[in-house]
Amino acid sequence: MQPGFSILCFQASADLPFLVFYQRKGVMHAAASLLNSSNLSLRFASQTQTRLSPWIAAPSSVRLPLNRSQNYRIALPPLHSTVSGDSTQPQQMASADVKAQDPRIAGISSAIRVIPDFPKPGIMFQDITTLLLDTKAFRDTIDLFVERYKDKNISVVAGIEARGFIFGPPIALAIGAKFVPMRKPKKLPGEVISEEYSLEYGKDVMEMHVGAVQAGERALIVDDLVATGGTLSAAIRLLERVGVHVVECACVIELPELKGRERLGEKPLFVLSLGLCSKLENFIKPSD
Amino acid sequence: MSAYKDKDARINGIKDQIRVVPNFPKPGIMFQDITTLLLKPKEFKDTIDMFVERYKGKNISVVAGIEARGFIFGPPIALAIGAKFVPLRKPKKLPGKVISEEYILEYGRDCLEMHVGAVESAERALVVDDLIATGGTLCAAINLLERVGAEVVECACVIELPDLKGRERLNGKPLYVLVESH
Repeated sequence: MQPGFSILCFQASADLPFLVFYQRKGVMHAAASLLNSSNLSLRFASQTQTRLSPWIAAPSSVRLPLNRSQNYRIALPPLHSTVSGDSTQPQQMASADVKAQDPRIAGISSAIRVIPDFPKPGIMFQDITTLLLDTKAFRDTIDLFVERYKDKNISVVAGIEARGFIFGPPIALAIGAKFVPMRKPKKLPGEVISEEYSLEYGKDVMEMHVGAVQAGERALIVDDLVATGGTLSAAIRLLERVGVHVVECACVIELPELKGRERLGEKPLFVLSLGLCSKLENFIKPSD
Repeated sequence: MSAYKDKDARINGIKDQIRVVPNFPKPGIMFQDITTLLLKPKEFKDTIDMFVERYKGKNISVVAGIEARGFIFGPPIALAIGAKFVPLRKPKKLPGKVISEEYILEYGRDCLEMHVGAVESAERALVVDDLIATGGTLCAAINLLERVGAEVVECACVIELPDLKGRERLNGKPLYVLVESH
């Protein structure tokens, strides 16, 4: 085990195998190979909707969600975090040197619904519309972003069509910034600049109005979710092409398996919740 | 009713920030572009405040916003009045179970969808969009909400194009706008 790793194992219920993640440089990886080398025996996992709490705090700890709908317990303590909690408790691990997870996060995470096989088989769709029905959780979501970004001299909040239009404007209004919609082609009237980006299959184009932002402005980019990071990268490029400084990207959900954070390079990414995008059986291999 | 006629002091500032783009999306159409309003924090906030002042304390538990520009105005109103936000979307965007309402366009048809279970019977709802033209989209939104037993209290738009008579197409539901454009 290399230094700088934290391992979290958890088990959805007694008859399910361990789900193992390890975290390195703030990025979570599935640890199938790790399992084999650790001689943990695996039984085949049934599909479980997993919601992981994010690390808003330092990358040396991973926190468990206080999830209303699932029973998780810690099966093994992490190797490199300072764990002060009892590992049999279905509670968060506490790390002495890391600030506590904001208590609002659990309610936000558990308000997000996961829909399997949408828009196509094998995809676990993270549906934020259920979050929007929970007035407290929606308010908390906005508040968490606003608390982070107000007084940071951000004059632009760019929101990516269409779900970035839901979260961006309330943040913009609260921090006194303008809201700039980043849209699919041919939706914005008047003069636009375009940025092409790659999809899993094919390409798409994102557009922004000419003159919406000025060189030297400080911007935040907002979307509901970051997957591969392709869309966010296109938004960053659009803004930087006109001389804007992108301070951070902010999303409600990250799918760490898809490595979007790496695709953003040095641009920081702030998220409130992590989601699994694969069914468990897609990335835990049964032992022979 | 429209705030324009009520002569609220904030109205002129809001109207001045809306840009008209000729011949978009096709020749002959004068497109009312609200994106310039969103670039002005004061006027954008005034827009939201005017709706919030009208609707808070009216026991409205649902704000339904029509994709995509209704997503910009609806959530800030919902958050401020303590209502849930329900996106009404084009087909196949909402995952899970939906109900659909078809409506007529100038040429052809389109469809609006809402999640099953998002809204309960007897909830009081507001429908929000940036603009009302012929009223076809708003009418479809009203139908979706009424089909699940919600009471649509009012439709709220930033802009009305009164010459297109959309107001008459709302099943008798009241319409409140901030700005008229002829």
